[in-house]
Amino acid sequence: MTLAPELTDVHAIVEQVWSSFLGDEEPLLPAYDADTAFPAENAWSSAVSIHGGWTGTVTIELSKNLAFSLTRLMMAMDESEPLDDAEVADAVGELVNMVGGNIKSLMPGPSALTLPVVAAGRAAHSSDLREVSRFDARWSGEPVRVSVHSPS
Amino acid sequence: MTQRAMIIDDSRAMRSILRRIIGGLDFETAEAGHGQEALDQMEAGFEPDLCLIDWNMPVMDGYTFITEVRKRPEWRNVTLMMVTTESEQGQIVKALAAGAHEYVIKPFTPDAIVEKLELLGLSGKGIPA
Repeated sequence: MTLAPELTDVHAIVEQVWSSFLGDEEPLLPAYDADTAFPAENAWSSAVSIHGGWTGTVTIELSKNLAFSLTRLMMAMDESEPLDDAEVADAVGELVNMVGGNIKSLMPGPSALTLPVVAAGRAAHSSDLREVSRFDARWSGEPVRVSVHSPS
Repeated sequence: MTQRAMIIDDSRAMRSILRRIIGGLDFETAEAGHGQEALDQMEAGFEPDLCLIDWNMPVMDGYTFITEVRKRPEWRNVTLMMVTTESEQGQIVKALAAGAHEYVIKPFTPDAIVEKLELLGLSGKGIPA
């Protein structure tokens, strides 16, 4: 059996990251209709890998609208300021870095965390990884998915 | 006299967040995207009272930065605070043993940073908090 973080722990970590950096005014709402495929069009994704006492990959996928909104919030930019892809990649990468780092702390260690990899598009995983945990949510009406993959 | 802080993190978004917190305390701030860039700025004359340091960064990580700073007697008074996602007990002990004064785990609230600075007697204005 593959060791995996508990979904409730993943949920708690994501909520903590969201409320710490994006505020409590707009709650992160778990999405219970999450069996539907994550919309590939206009998606952004970021991933970090964990190697050591436990091995796995933590991925965040979110809509482009959400990626741009949270970047503006994190960088305190207003709607009129232009935003480039590098800034979005930076912010989305930092989110997965925080979520991944905290998931790492729940798993057997010691382990090392890679730097984030960010893409405009959905995440792709190698064939030897399988999804062991997934948290789907909506924030400001936009979808976000946090998934954990581990070698099968 | 205004105190100076160096924010060392490879994420611009995180540097922006920390700059708003620290700047709100009236620290004069400088930023670096990795440890070597911070060392370069310090060698060029920026003398920080406080460094906020991420662990995982390209070029030079935060742990190496701490060990480099602690080799230099002229920087012995610089307060070093790790601000990182690295939360394994072994990593925390390693950073503190290398010379870090405080350790903050991301995600954090602004109050958590302010409280840590108060414990260290730093307020941004050169007056003990």
